[in-house]
Amino acid sequence: MDIIIPLLVDGLAAASLIFFIAVGLTLVFSVLRVLNVAHGSFYSIGAYVAVSIGGWAASAGLSPWLSFPILLISAALVAALLGPFIEATFIRYTYGKPEALQILVTFALFLIFEDLQKLVFGVQAHYQDAAMQVLGVSEIGGIIYLNYQLLLIALAVVVVVSLRLLMRHTRLGKLILAVVADPEVSVTLGINARQVYSIAFTIGVFLAALGGALATPTSGVAPGLGAEAIVLGFAVAAIGGLGQIEGAALAAVIVGLSRVIAIYYAPAFEPVMPYLVMLVVLLVRPYGLFGTAQARRI
Amino acid sequence: MWKLAATLAVGLGVIAGPAAAQDRPERIGMGIFTFTSGPAAAYGMPGRNAAELIIEQINEAGGIGGVPIAPTYVDEAQGGEGVVSEFRRLAGDQSIGVMVAALSSGNCMALAPIADQLEVPMVTWNCDTHQLFLGEEHPYVFRPNSSTVPEFISYAAYLAQKSPDATRIAIINPDYAFGHDAAQIFTGAMKAFNPDVEVVAELFPKLGTASFNTEISRIAAARPDVIFSNLWGADLENFVRQAQARGLFRSSQVVLALGESVLQRVELPEGVIVGVLGDGWWMSPDAQANERTKEFVSAYRERFGEYPVFPAMKMANTILAVQAAYEKAIEASDGWPGRADLREAFAGLELETLTGTVTVREDHDGLVDQLVGVTVASDEHDFPVIGEMVRYPADQVTPPVGEDPMAWIGTLTPDFAASLPKPGSYE
Repeated sequence: MDIIIPLLVDGLAAASLIFFIAVGLTLVFSVLRVLNVAHGSFYSIGAYVAVSIGGWAASAGLSPWLSFPILLISAALVAALLGPFIEATFIRYTYGKPEALQILVTFALFLIFEDLQKLVFGVQAHYQDAAMQVLGVSEIGGIIYLNYQLLLIALAVVVVVSLRLLMRHTRLGKLILAVVADPEVSVTLGINARQVYSIAFTIGVFLAALGGALATPTSGVAPGLGAEAIVLGFAVAAIGGLGQIEGAALAAVIVGLSRVIAIYYAPAFEPVMPYLVMLVVLLVRPYGLFGTAQARRI
Repeated sequence: MWKLAATLAVGLGVIAGPAAAQDRPERIGMGIFTFTSGPAAAYGMPGRNAAELIIEQINEAGGIGGVPIAPTYVDEAQGGEGVVSEFRRLAGDQSIGVMVAALSSGNCMALAPIADQLEVPMVTWNCDTHQLFLGEEHPYVFRPNSSTVPEFISYAAYLAQKSPDATRIAIINPDYAFGHDAAQIFTGAMKAFNPDVEVVAELFPKLGTASFNTEISRIAAARPDVIFSNLWGADLENFVRQAQARGLFRSSQVVLALGESVLQRVELPEGVIVGVLGDGWWMSPDAQANERTKEFVSAYRERFGEYPVFPAMKMANTILAVQAAYEKAIEASDGWPGRADLREAFAGLELETLTGTVTVREDHDGLVDQLVGVTVASDEHDFPVIGEMVRYPADQVTPPVGEDPMAWIGTLTPDFAASLPKPGSYE
């Protein structure tokens, strides 16, 4: 019984970070039908920008509580600057094209971004942990946890609910759903599908950058972060069913818990747990937990 | 017929030329392998920086035998295959006289047979795995540094002397040879010094792990007396930041085998057992008594904005060993020494380094003292330094030549730890 609480807290905290990686990827796929390998780059760029602005704020002697808006602003900045631009200049030309071509284009973008990050931010690790430090710790079941870990769990829930509300109860959400259901009919009805694609892609970039930014207070950022994120992101998105936001959330919880259980009972298996889970799920349900063969839902 | 034989002899002489004594070159090419990017760069860049500075100082003083060193740096972050390919490419360049490789034990294990095959001297600067020379001879590979066995036995001895009642041990090491070897050696030695010792948690997160929060919970739940880790680079920095915030340093005696390398980067509390995997601490009494070391430390601080952590000192000491070997080879050769001559010179090499002495034994492994202590606040610096130090003599903590290291550890007794110099004895 003593072990249940740490398993749950650690599992959900790990799941929340994994969810932030996968949710934007699955959202972009659900709307644009593009497997975006460059998603990992947006994750790491979000982390670099958050650390850079956070570092500047710390050196300027600003309150550490400002770290939280800085994390959000960093993600918004990355999304605003890169989202519409990348969609309009690269992604747009891959719509309706074979998946191999889409992967090649987005993989090329990923490689370019990787090198650009090294040029701009250098090759060493960067840290900015003010947000983690200022929140302090809590003792649960005799083990001390970072309050920041608990905040991540809450934020992941907020993002799931917000996306649900956005898609089901706002005009923008309904426009997106209409374009997802049938782009041609949507255009005939007067919907600006291009704009919807651009907005959906930008939301995807924002979620990736937010995930990267939120990871930095505990883990910092170093070259290679984007590659690790995209591999894990694809695994989680595939487990949940590509294009399924709730599926990504459930898959993140399963993967998070499986990794934590492995660390407690069979540490050697921890690195492969996401892929073992993916293997088992896809053997039983080839379209993922929430996926179906033909349906295009979000 | 004799003309044909003469022509063949000349031809063979030309082919064999690079390995034999030859004319004095314009420069001594040196391949230097370390991590200069990625999470491991936090550990590898100080080595890169130290190589740059010590080579500059050697060249300013006239080079080696009047010939300047020309380094070529190779980033080990490109992965094993790329590192091997770069090694082969550099070995094919006859202006390269020696390789200083590598940081990663995995890369050293991969490169050692290639160095033998290509007959190019390879001098390891950081890869400490005892498996390098275990059961296999490498005629062209030399380690003028210590290995994992004396390094991790020393931590066990220090603990046995300082905290004799500690019996519950948790281990968190990186998931590759260096981490697994260290766990085996440390556990073996701890059990030899105190048979009541039990391992209550043993974790091996993969290299490059960013979040250790679950591992920290797992360790905290096991309630260990001692937490031992040989994490390094950005992994160590992440672990320290997360573990300290979660109180792990207050509830257990933490031993960070490579802790000195992060003293200037993260806030380590007082009382953490740290060391330098050898004697390479820039502030040790021996280092402070050496004018050249003080000059090196000062120049390093001025150029790179921080003091040289122990990977920097290991690199500098290794290049001094290469210089000493070249000087020995020059004295012994008629012309400029070739790669084979340099290899001969490394056997039995003894020299004074920036932080002590090193001897290259007949099995090509090094004898270096082991410095261990605990973190204490400093009046001079805004980061903790090492106090309550001990300097274990190399010959006391290193297995004898030809003896299986793990079998040797099995012969250790509590009396062995008691016979070693005591914590605080090195002042």
